Amino acid sequence: MKRLAQVMFWASSLLLVFVVLRPAVLASVDDAQSFALQAAEPYVKQGFQVREDYWGGDLGSGEKKAVRQQLFKGNEYWFWLGTEADRAKVSVHVYDSDGKLAEEPDGWEKGHFAAAHVVPKATGSYFIIVSVEKSPEERTHWALVYGFR
Amino acid sequence: MIPFTKHLKLSVGILCGLALCANGAQAPQRINIKQLSTTVEDVVVPLPNEIFGALNKLGAVNWKEHVRSDKGSNFTERPRIALLLGTVIADGFIAVQAEDAEAVKEIGQRVLALAKGIGVGNSITPHAKAIIESADKRNWEHVRQELDRTQNSVQQAMNEVHDEKLSQLVSLGGWLRGTEVLTSLVKEHFSADGAELLHQPDLLSYFQTRLQAMPEFNLPIIHEIQDALVEVKPLIDVGDRHIPPDSVKKVNDITTRLDHGIVTRD
Repeated sequence: MKRLAQVMFWASSLLLVFVVLRPAVLASVDDAQSFALQAAEPYVKQGFQVREDYWGGDLGSGEKKAVRQQLFKGNEYWFWLGTEADRAKVSVHVYDSDGKLAEEPDGWEKGHFAAAHVVPKATGSYFIIVSVEKSPEERTHWALVYGFR
Repeated sequence: MIPFTKHLKLSVGILCGLALCANGAQAPQRINIKQLSTTVEDVVVPLPNEIFGALNKLGAVNWKEHVRSDKGSNFTERPRIALLLGTVIADGFIAVQAEDAEAVKEIGQRVLALAKGIGVGNSITPHAKAIIESADKRNWEHVRQELDRTQNSVQQAMNEVHDEKLSQLVSLGGWLRGTEVLTSLVKEHFSADGAELLHQPDLLSYFQTRLQAMPEFNLPIIHEIQDALVEVKPLIDVGDRHIPPDSVKKVNDITTRLDHGIVTRD
């Protein structure tokens, strides 16, 4: 009987930890997405359609992630990266399938926001390299959204 | 005493440094793609209107010819409903291109019915309502946005109940219908730039991989799509070469056949 009580105690403690921590982890990626969308806002007025779908995750300081994306010649794209970590510094750059830098020179990085602008010279796969340059957090949540016109 | 030219050089150097800080460190001009071992697996599948937008820039397109708003068949198998739902959402984007309000409204209702059929109707209801209202007001930009939100909400709702495979079938249905219309338009008025929009070999490989991981969906239409993608791959995976008119026609024949299979009962 005592053993059953112990098992019940540990099971409910684990459930409590899961219930409390899980929304916190999810909320961070959601927050990062909100920042990425905030960075995209001024571009919507310029006619860019921002996709609802997005990429997200977490990275350690100095770590990179590559995302492969199909882009179409004739369209113009902006990729916006955001993180909720205030003092983090993030970057985003775009390369073509040969590994050549494919972005326009007007991309920017401002603290926990970054953006890259692409006018594809050819239709095909491109690599978007997301990086957490530095961050006070052990793991920094990030989200990448894109828009086109 | 520092001479003026040294002052000037120093100031220019500091200004350049500050400019670099504001724009961040310079990205390398070239990277080794083969060394990228941390690629995110899931690609974001382009919306049909992303391709249609690029096509529009090549010249006037008669979108009205491609509008389809008939109710089609009703299915009970969830994978079939998911494929059809993706196709119908793509039809919504075509109707927006054609600025056909009646078709958009019918498609909005159809999307809602199909979403209910796979148990995600609740998350779609506000979007379907918004699509219909925006179509009434001829607010095409908002209809486009709501169609994107619809697809996203359907897929999120499916992912939440671990139906990721059905979610992928929604994307696949949309991609196939988009490719059918793209090839049909390029076939009618061929241009190398139009045909180049078909150059999507990685996206095709992505769908092939996803379909291989769905052995439980043992349906003739799924097998038909798997076989068809094998046929399509060499036609669009041409590297730096142009995609010829004959290949565009072949891809159109294949995707038209698949679309017929998706929308009609066996």
